[in-house]
Amino acid sequence: MDAINTLAAPPLVQSRVRPGRRRADAILRGFCAFATLLGIIVLGSILLMLIVEGVRGFTPTLLTQPTPGPGSEGGGIANAVLGSLILTTIGIVIATPVGVMAGTFLAEYGRTSKLAVLIRFLNDILLSAPSILIGLFVYTLMVRPMGSYSGWAGGIALAIIATPVIVRTTEDMLSLVPGTLREAGAALGAPPSMVIMKVSWRAASAGIVTGIILALARIAGETAPLLFTALNNNSWFSPDLMGGVPNLPVMIYQFALSPYANWQQLAWAGALLITMTILALSVIARLVIKPQRAR
Amino acid sequence: MSHAAATAAEPLMQPSAKAGADTKAPVRIAVKGLNFYYGQFHGLKDINLNFHDRQVTALIGPSGCGKSTLLRTFNRIYSLYPEQRAEGEILLDGVNILDSKVDLNDLRARVGMVFQKPTPFPMSIYDNVAFGIRLYEKLPKSELDDRVEASLRKAALWDEVKDKLKQSGMGLSGGQQQRLCIARTVAQRPEVILFDEPTSALDPISTGRIEELIEQLRDEFTIAIVTHNMQQAARISQFTAFMYLGELIEFSQTEKMFMNPTERRTQDYITGRFG
Repeated sequence: MDAINTLAAPPLVQSRVRPGRRRADAILRGFCAFATLLGIIVLGSILLMLIVEGVRGFTPTLLTQPTPGPGSEGGGIANAVLGSLILTTIGIVIATPVGVMAGTFLAEYGRTSKLAVLIRFLNDILLSAPSILIGLFVYTLMVRPMGSYSGWAGGIALAIIATPVIVRTTEDMLSLVPGTLREAGAALGAPPSMVIMKVSWRAASAGIVTGIILALARIAGETAPLLFTALNNNSWFSPDLMGGVPNLPVMIYQFALSPYANWQQLAWAGALLITMTILALSVIARLVIKPQRAR
Repeated sequence: MSHAAATAAEPLMQPSAKAGADTKAPVRIAVKGLNFYYGQFHGLKDINLNFHDRQVTALIGPSGCGKSTLLRTFNRIYSLYPEQRAEGEILLDGVNILDSKVDLNDLRARVGMVFQKPTPFPMSIYDNVAFGIRLYEKLPKSELDDRVEASLRKAALWDEVKDKLKQSGMGLSGGQQQRLCIARTVAQRPEVILFDEPTSALDPISTGRIEELIEQLRDEFTIAIVTHNMQQAARISQFTAFMYLGELIEFSQTEKMFMNPTERRTQDYITGRFG
């Protein structure tokens, strides 16, 4: 390029780009690089500290024993892990059908209708609503009338947080399905329901599943909505979802603030466990999308 | 340069369809006083024209002239979009398909459509072809297998895919995908097949195969094809309609249209003076 330029035009000693622009470019580039570095350093040090502190808590009893009582030695977080699994399962099992159906309505039926525009707007608000608000909402609606913290209330609070994520990704993924594919389905005489189930959903399946996995990752670490709903329960997990259910986020919150060293250690281990789970879910979500793109 | 001189100086395209037009063939689709609107925009203006049984009718004209719009009225696929509407009459075997009482899914099973871009569904080759059949018929497995095979043979695709029927239809080449879509349409045993620029996304060799295929399909089906390519219209059609700005300018046997058009605008378009 340079060679051609020097042949065709007078030597480029005097650049036609004003010096101010070059400086502006250099400054912007510097800021961007600095900001990126800052973000990575912060993230890196959080992860590093988490791993260093958390790994020490990975004792053989971590996943086999329940949380220890105040002042007692040893113990694990098995009850909190199991409780978290149950709460997130309740959350995702409720949120998935609601979210996928609502997303399908927005992308396939409602499109630009007034109702769809309204739902889309409300969904966006719900998507960014502070999660503690959701916790308070479910507290008012379920915990107060029923008179106790409960696993059901926790699961429903998590479902309310996961739903807008799934609605959004489902709608986005269905919107990417080319309209000609729907026309082709309709042109074969397939009613809209068949076109949606057999063509649109199939074409968007990887994206929809990814959205569900990401919603799962999101609620796996939620603490605020559980504080007012499932709370915690130091006992070994009892199958009664009508009472408080131990779970990792609230366990971490309570144990980290406790004066007992072994509790603090368990909080670190729990935090590392959750982080790794979320990381694993994100990796799975990427893997699900990959084969689709390769094709 | 006078009109007559132009005709003498520039020979028009040679129609080369293997079969000549059968003007006595019964009318399959009769379009009467058809007007079409995209919201406020008047897309088709008082169209009157007949499509003959087991003949290929080509719709030609410059971009935006309404040829695809016209094609999309025959299976009422436009009704997927609420802002689009048609007025007038389109008689398919004497029944007005614009009547609100017409069952759209039933109509679309009788009037198949192949699109510009190949539209294989994200499922196996077999399931793609069986898709339309399964919508309307409950066939035992062996019969369904036969129908799928027969359809793929009719679409000249069987030999290429018979060993990989379980593989995804998305994995085929563009030309194969388009033939898969034709097989899928044929499998439903429609009476009419609409082609909306079926080869404009394909290479010349695939285009040639699709054209051959359309010639063969004419034995069984009434065919309407929208094409940008006038040579293609000349090669495969028995009748040609020339459209311009939403109006039908001229409709006649392809041979006559290309050798001796009556309208000045037709002649100008065919000789490449505009469009």
